[in-house]
Amino acid sequence: MDPLCSRPVSNAYTRRQFFHGLGATLGSLAFTDLLAKEGLAAPNPLAPKKPMFPAKAKNVIMLFMEGGPGHMDTFDPKPKLSALHKSESKLTEGQETGFKFFVGSPFGFNKVGQSGIEMCDQWKYLADPYVADELCNYRGCQAESLNHPEALYHINTGSRLGADPALGAWATYGLGTQNQNLPGYVVMTELAFPQGGSGNWSNGFLPANFQGTRLRTEGSPILDLNSQPFKTREHQRRFLDEMAFLNQQHAQYHPEHRDLAARMETYELAYRMQMEVPDVIDLKGETEATRELYGMNDQHTATFGRQCLLARRLVEKGVRFVQIFSGGWDSHDYLERAHTERIRSVDKPMAALIRDLKQRGMLEDTLVVWTGEFGRTPDNNKRGGVYSLGRGHNNKAMTMLFAGGGVKKGSIVGATDELGLKAVDVVHPIRDLHVTLLHLLGLDDNKLTYYHAGRYKQLSQFGGQVIKELIA
Amino acid sequence: METRPVFFRLIAALALFAAAAPMGAAVDASAAERDFTLKVLPLLKGKCFACHGEDPKKIKGGLNMLTREALLKGGEGLTDVLVPGQAEKSQMFVAITWKDPDLEMPPKENDRLTTAQIEIVRAWIDAGAPWPSEAEQKKHREMERTIAATADGVIVPTSGGLSEDWTYRRYQPEDIWGFQPVRQPAVPAVAKATHPVDAFVRAKLATAKVAPAPQTDPRTLIRRATFDLIGLPPTPEEVDAFVAASKQDATAAWSGLIDRLLASPHYAERWAQHWLDVTRYADTGGMANDFERSNMWRYRDYVIRSFNTDKPYNRFVLEQLAGDQLADAAARQRLGGDDAAVAKVRATGDYTPEEAEQIVATGYLRMGPWDNAMVKDDEARQIYRDDLVNNVGQTFLATTLRCFKCHDHKFDPLPTRDYYRIYAAFSATQMAERPLRFLPEEKQEGFAEGRAFVERMLAYAIGEKDKLVDKRETAARAWFKEHGLDYKTLEERKNLPDDQKPARAVGLDHVDEGQLKVREQDEWIWTRTRERYEPMAQSVYDGPDPKWSFKSARELRMPKSINAAWRPETHIFMGGSLEAPGEKVQPGVLSAIGLRVEGAETDPFVLPDDLTQRRLGLAKWIADARNPLTTRAIVNRVWQYHFGQPLAGTPNNFGVKGAKPTHPELLDWLTADFIAHGWTFKRLHKLIMMSETYRQSAQHSQSEKLRNDDPNNHLLAFFPHRRLTAEELRDAMLRTTGELNPTLGGLPAMPEINLEVALQPRMIQFSLAPAYQPSRTPEQRNRRSIYAYRLRGQADPFLEVFNQPNPNESCDARDSAAVSPQAFTMMNSDLVTDRAIAFARRVAKEAATLEQQVGRAFALALHRAPTDAEAQRMTAYVRQMQTYHRGVTPPPAKYPTRVTRSLVEEFSGKIFEYEEILPVFENYVPDPKPSDVTAETRALADLCLALFNTHEFAHLY
Repeated sequence: MDPLCSRPVSNAYTRRQFFHGLGATLGSLAFTDLLAKEGLAAPNPLAPKKPMFPAKAKNVIMLFMEGGPGHMDTFDPKPKLSALHKSESKLTEGQETGFKFFVGSPFGFNKVGQSGIEMCDQWKYLADPYVADELCNYRGCQAESLNHPEALYHINTGSRLGADPALGAWATYGLGTQNQNLPGYVVMTELAFPQGGSGNWSNGFLPANFQGTRLRTEGSPILDLNSQPFKTREHQRRFLDEMAFLNQQHAQYHPEHRDLAARMETYELAYRMQMEVPDVIDLKGETEATRELYGMNDQHTATFGRQCLLARRLVEKGVRFVQIFSGGWDSHDYLERAHTERIRSVDKPMAALIRDLKQRGMLEDTLVVWTGEFGRTPDNNKRGGVYSLGRGHNNKAMTMLFAGGGVKKGSIVGATDELGLKAVDVVHPIRDLHVTLLHLLGLDDNKLTYYHAGRYKQLSQFGGQVIKELIA
Repeated sequence: METRPVFFRLIAALALFAAAAPMGAAVDASAAERDFTLKVLPLLKGKCFACHGEDPKKIKGGLNMLTREALLKGGEGLTDVLVPGQAEKSQMFVAITWKDPDLEMPPKENDRLTTAQIEIVRAWIDAGAPWPSEAEQKKHREMERTIAATADGVIVPTSGGLSEDWTYRRYQPEDIWGFQPVRQPAVPAVAKATHPVDAFVRAKLATAKVAPAPQTDPRTLIRRATFDLIGLPPTPEEVDAFVAASKQDATAAWSGLIDRLLASPHYAERWAQHWLDVTRYADTGGMANDFERSNMWRYRDYVIRSFNTDKPYNRFVLEQLAGDQLADAAARQRLGGDDAAVAKVRATGDYTPEEAEQIVATGYLRMGPWDNAMVKDDEARQIYRDDLVNNVGQTFLATTLRCFKCHDHKFDPLPTRDYYRIYAAFSATQMAERPLRFLPEEKQEGFAEGRAFVERMLAYAIGEKDKLVDKRETAARAWFKEHGLDYKTLEERKNLPDDQKPARAVGLDHVDEGQLKVREQDEWIWTRTRERYEPMAQSVYDGPDPKWSFKSARELRMPKSINAAWRPETHIFMGGSLEAPGEKVQPGVLSAIGLRVEGAETDPFVLPDDLTQRRLGLAKWIADARNPLTTRAIVNRVWQYHFGQPLAGTPNNFGVKGAKPTHPELLDWLTADFIAHGWTFKRLHKLIMMSETYRQSAQHSQSEKLRNDDPNNHLLAFFPHRRLTAEELRDAMLRTTGELNPTLGGLPAMPEINLEVALQPRMIQFSLAPAYQPSRTPEQRNRRSIYAYRLRGQADPFLEVFNQPNPNESCDARDSAAVSPQAFTMMNSDLVTDRAIAFARRVAKEAATLEQQVGRAFALALHRAPTDAEAQRMTAYVRQMQTYHRGVTPPPAKYPTRVTRSLVEEFSGKIFEYEEILPVFENYVPDPKPSDVTAETRALADLCLALFNTHEFAHLY
């Protein structure tokens, strides 16, 4: 006897008959639509949601400088350090031990634009007043950890332990995303995975829908996005329809299972993404002027430039949160060479991104954030007996840039002491930065909660304050 | 000694006042004043004062709430904060109701007042908002503390909080159910329910006026039970045999099936996985370097052996927490009490197999992610111990200890003192890789091939490094010669002034410099990896805090001698901060459950101070049959894994904020029964599975009603269906295709993972982690997923996308959200494509005609015959796909033997490239690929792939 016949008859008889009557010709698209109409499809957790209060920013592009840029070598000049260059340091902060000496910045500094924002002379494109006057430089933030993975986890997820949801996951959890054919939270890494790996864009305890999707620079843009090379799109469509047929048969006996509908919808979304993703990453439609603007024609800036351009395109297409990781900022030695190169690799692309967003009228709605996981120390120790002109990790001072999205443009907020050792004005821990970023998105950290393991969890862990000085 | 034995004071006070205070003494005082003192003031203190008065420098909105006068005065632009007699007109009342979105206090979701709390404030204001003097308050409080139970709840005696308010606060008895002793309740009398499980479940169903679902059919049942107990699908032959046997005698067939599955060695692979989820198994240490913890697999196999031999749970607990102490005690007895001889055994690892097994068990104490890179010793130690303490709480006691590390627990009767007492129990516990001979039952298969592979990688790294060192030293020689100085080696010239030696990277450009760093890292990575073939175990020892270097995380060894007289000093760290040591504490246990430490003298919850007795004492207390947390926790977990939902909602947290049990009496009945019958799992499994509740259908005739009334199926009116876990899904595919190598235990297997991910560069400290190289042959690769090498820094993308948990956090329940990346993997990946090809080959071999092949594929994957409609349509589909595939040629698979990596060189900021070798691909035996098979097989593989992708394949009913 067919075991299926012995199953209990559901009272959803009519619907069951209805499904059965649809027979073999119904495509899976129509099938999931039907389930939705029947109220059987699970609600889409990524559907756009209204912010809790009027938002300043709708989207975020976060440019993450992995390794920790030196604040005194980028946007926070410390002439005192130059005066003390190579003289002994008795500071006890940081991890370096033994004989320590101060390190002056190898770079000169300029005040740029109308606003007089300060930046080192290596920033050639960002210094253009059209761009520079959009910037807000924040010098008051303090990290906690002195080591990369913990500090990366902390600034990206609010917890040093690396198992909590990332900022982008919280943002999409709170606001959903506009384009249902693309992921809501996209991550791009420059060359290698940052330390701590995918824990930096994890959904943590939030449902998996909010996980950051890595848009890969090489190979398949999303893992296994494309069908096997010997399978055409028609083959794929047919495959989906056959699978839908089998699932329909199955649904006759399990008509009330919402997860069946949700799961089938993920296949249809996958199918749509196979079209949409190659389209959004195909830069052929961009003009030569745009490619040049983003530095895509220069090998030093090509990778980051392409990613910045992609970030603009993704946001334009309705992606909520884009994060780009740029590695190599951990300059314990040869600071001048290393930071010169790193600044060069991001300067033109990020200036282009801000300019492009501004020209398209998108900057108002898009918050651009530039940060590392911590700052650097004013001093260093010897390496191999040599004065190493670099810097250690500093969890008491760092520097950040913001543009667009309702921040106070053309301003410098907060300050570090004269050595750049510690933040001394408008001082806030990372959790306040998180609260502020959510606030700009129209979300209240204290109310954007998820009940997990016996507690309402929130990005800031235990609450924090909005850094009002940053907000226009 | 600790200064405040609050527990005794409380007991004494309760006894004294119970005798002396006349009943109803509180009636004399105004009830409203009393309520203010006991209920309103603590609320204000806990929820308001922090921002409204306590810190005069930071008063939010200018509103001070510390006194009645200040409240009446109001804050910025607010004069009617408190209107005595009129709660609805008082802004402070409006604020706590959260009805006005612009005025919601306290502002955090977590701090929001409950309805009951809001009513307390309302009653107080309506009563005129009396605010008695300090002296009056004191009187009310002292009176109150004499009464153990009031309408406001019960006082739970503990070792005492940081404040008296906390110590004497009250709990609703139903909130602290988890801390109460387990008492076996009587089985309710319910018609037609002969099995205790059914009696409890049906008694509750009857109250809700819902009938249980009917019993399910044998085919569904054998699939359910087989996955449940061994994590694999049944074979079609097993299904047929069970269906036939069920027709003869359903109960006997069912009982026989459970016995067969419990006797299968695969049973333990499935159930060990649950345990490893909770304890966070991984083969590496995570964080900055993600070092391999060589031979961690010995712990994994220990867990598997323990389930297979049905080790009593209390023994299992003891061994994992203090197996090293048990082993030393056994050795001491064997050696006639000769401590020097025991020390020698410890140093050489020359234990008996029985003793060695127990040291392997303490691998549990090494499960958390840890790396001391750039972390000071004290802090690195604290990170280790906090992690350990918290996981011990979650795993064994269903208590999130992390919640009272910085302050007394906000909701549970758990003072921060108890956190640090448990912390102190681990204060002498030191991580180490200990020498320990392999056990006879530990498989050493693959050691020779593995070692040769590692040697090859190591030799390559050294060779490449040497070339660069030679280049540098050649340039250095030239420099010295040019400057008329004698050549000095790098080490010799290290401390010379800058003008008497060449630049550090003399002769090297940025590419050389970057490469040198990578090769140096690789050299020690592979040197370290080589230890996976040495007789060592990841374990601990008790002794003084060692001094660490930056290399410590890669090499944690026992010292030659241990100063047994050393005693750690543990303090309460105020706010969890190392910089704020508070009161000193002794090692101890949780006081709230009232279970005394065996042999404790003065304080019943304090453990012996002896180095070797602290952790062991804690272990014994945890494994005590009277410990309600330990015993309920494990029975709850077992139930959860059978039903996909626990009896008590939050298996890692039985506290006030965890979900209340749906069937508390059933949980206690089962727990008492489990203890009474020797703490064994196999008996518990069978008991649960023999119930009709387990054998219910996943369908219910009143599904519409239940969806509204009981959306989470707390009534267990029907069997909760579930998706297969990541590991089950992979293992089921391998079993269905016939590729699964069912060998048990041994070195981790390296399955094929997405090749792009395998070669994806991944940052570690200073360098890139080596590429992931799969095992060479299908037999080596296609093992069960529990044996797959688990890198914390790089999950297998297939397992990860199907919700394999992050091993940095204890996982008490698997998630199964459906997301599109799952669809990509299941439709498009090489991995699943290869499985479909293998499945098609198997089906083609085992069935002749296409119609038969379709039938066979359904039987293997779905354990049923296709319906006529399915058979017709799938046959037609395969036929059409044959035509399609005749017109296409799949490209052959390519495996690179070298890979070029690029990285930003830290000293120059420039990108450099280097080459890494992938020797495993030199004589690699791939799985059958689409290019290896005919168009007919590929067409059949389309059907096979569709079957793997069906909802039915991936779900259990």
